[in-house]
Amino acid sequence: MTNLYAQALWTASQQEGADAKKLVKNLTEHLKEQGRLKLLPSILADLKRLDARNTKLAASVEVAHEREAPTALKEAVARGIHAEKAHVNVSLIKGWRASGQGMLIDASAKRELIELYRSITTA
Amino acid sequence: MESIIKKIEQEIASMTSVTREEETGVVRTTGDGIAEIDGLEGAVMAEMVLFDPTFDRTLESALKDAEQIYGLVLNLEEDGVRVVILGDASRVYEGMRVRRLGRLLSIPVGDGLVGRVVNALGEPVDGKGAVGASGSGTKLTPIEREAYGVMDRAPVNTPIHTGIKALDALIPIGRGQRELIIGDRGVGKTTIAIDTILNQKTEDPATRPICIYVAIGQKESKTARIVADLAEAGAMDYTIVVTAPASSPAAFQFLAPFAGATIGEHFMDQGKDALVIYDDLSKHAVAYRQMSLLLRRPPGREAYPGDIFYLHSRLLERAAKLSKEKGGGSLTALPIIETQEGDISAYIPTNVISITDGQVFLLANLFNKGQRPAIDVGNSVSRVGSSAQTKAMKKVSGKIKLELAQFRELEAFMQFASDLDEGTKKQIDAGQRMTQILNQPQGKPLAFEMEAAVIFAATNGFLDGFPAAETSAAEVRLQDFLTREAKAELKAIRDSREISDATDKALRAKLDAFAERATPVEKEA
Ligand SMILES: Nc1ncnc2c1ncn2[C@@H]1O[C@H](COP(=O)(O)OP(=O)(O)OP(=O)(O)O)[C@@H](O)[C@H]1O
Ligand SMILES: [Mg+2]
Repeated sequence: MTNLYAQALWTASQQEGADAKKLVKNLTEHLKEQGRLKLLPSILADLKRLDARNTKLAASVEVAHEREAPTALKEAVARGIHAEKAHVNVSLIKGWRASGQGMLIDASAKRELIELYRSITTA
Repeated sequence: MESIIKKIEQEIASMTSVTREEETGVVRTTGDGIAEIDGLEGAVMAEMVLFDPTFDRTLESALKDAEQIYGLVLNLEEDGVRVVILGDASRVYEGMRVRRLGRLLSIPVGDGLVGRVVNALGEPVDGKGAVGASGSGTKLTPIEREAYGVMDRAPVNTPIHTGIKALDALIPIGRGQRELIIGDRGVGKTTIAIDTILNQKTEDPATRPICIYVAIGQKESKTARIVADLAEAGAMDYTIVVTAPASSPAAFQFLAPFAGATIGEHFMDQGKDALVIYDDLSKHAVAYRQMSLLLRRPPGREAYPGDIFYLHSRLLERAAKLSKEKGGGSLTALPIIETQEGDISAYIPTNVISITDGQVFLLANLFNKGQRPAIDVGNSVSRVGSSAQTKAMKKVSGKIKLELAQFRELEAFMQFASDLDEGTKKQIDAGQRMTQILNQPQGKPLAFEMEAAVIFAATNGFLDGFPAAETSAAEVRLQDFLTREAKAELKAIRDSREISDATDKALRAKLDAFAERATPVEKEA
């Protein structure tokens, strides 16, 4: 139940031109009318969880080196992942990786080396 | 060297051209061997996932700790999945990346497993190195699969000899059958199963079943003892042990019988015979209950999850005798259930009784009275096995059944009757004799021709010269005698699987000699 309120609130907040103040006011009024104001704390908890989850699963692009950023962003978009900018993560060694939409796209040398290491050591 | 370096350099140069696309999620919380995961929306039940310990690390630190951690999807939820961690759960942390593998939980299966001890994931735990290194390769096989349908099956027509007289004569089990062994703690359930494995040594290697002993929730020391005993008897040559000890995570205990069934099917699919023992499904149900509580599934009767019945029936349905077209292989299942104070009406026993083709009931009071194996022959049944019984065994078992039934009635009467008439006394003697003939020490299964010959002798009065109470001792001498002096007759029974008129006659002649030679000594004593 509270999960549904949280979900609706979150979706509404993502819409363009969403007014947080107004959304919250509407919600509290609605809850008052329904005599469900007591739900507010658990709606908040659900909303926090939802937000954390969406941040975790939000689109992100990482590159081993700044110069790889343009290609990486373009490649990610081609696969449905739209990130505003690419973060530099030198541990990738070379290449890039992107995640979003529940997918991971990994074109880094680090991953490749790990796979290589595994295929050698478990053969 | 030069060329190797070149090769690796080339490899690295071409590397970033590989782009992997995988569905991933993130660990929300973890504890008690379970992880809740955000994402992985496409995941299906029983799918395998991979916790990636390398994602947030540098290559150097990742390679130090690159061992994969697998998980099994067991709950699908609105905004994520719940996963049982199949490995070191302490390495799983909040925020960790989890990848879908897109395949159901699979284990490596192959002929190379024979002689090995593996865990529920098919990984060797006997310290003898990788499976399949010596034999043929292994194939990753999902541990859940649809059982064969009716069209692919054939009627059970070949016996699986347990080497236990009471079973082979009265409760015969056929290849492809599901026969439950059920009884209280410590009444000899495991012993029956292990003796059955030991007895396969007496079978022709060409048709000898591959045996799979699945130890679920057992003490490690107990299983180690069993493995040692099997090895000592040379039975590991055709046996595989799958162990998920009491000390292992509930998930492993839950998975073990499915792994056992999968291994058995590997041999069945090649047209061979296999025998799988689940020791025991009570502990399996408890492990599943524990897991389900952690997964926060709503509990049902006796707090077991509602689908436990479905789970056990899917497992046992995988036992089958395949049609000729499918290669004619078979998988026989001997599930074991532990009862509390003989209560077979509890939830799990009732379930498993209803999905097996027969039951061997072991009774604590018989065990305590010294009847071993403590089989309640009056109530135990094998619904499909009698069609698989050899002619030899059929011939000798009829009489023993009748005498035992009469004896059971008289036994009650004996309690209060003071003086019994001659006829009744005789019947009681005969009943006692038969009861003793069905006693058998642990670890001494008998080849079926010996079983048939012994019962033949007992039911045809050749032991009547011995006091009924000394039948067991007489049997030892009889077996000894038969081994030494009735080789031809035993071989004839073994080869033809029947007691022909000629063999019948020859055997009687030998047994006459035995009775004459042996009994006077006894009588004098
Ligand atoms: N036929 C037999 N002759 C002599 N002893 C036997 C026989 N069968 C079982 N026993 C003894 O009885 C004891 C219990 O046997 P077993 O372990 O097979 O029982 P169980 O029902 O599997 O027990 P648990 O419930 O602990 O798993 C063992 O010590 C075993 O040696
Ligand atoms: Mg046991």
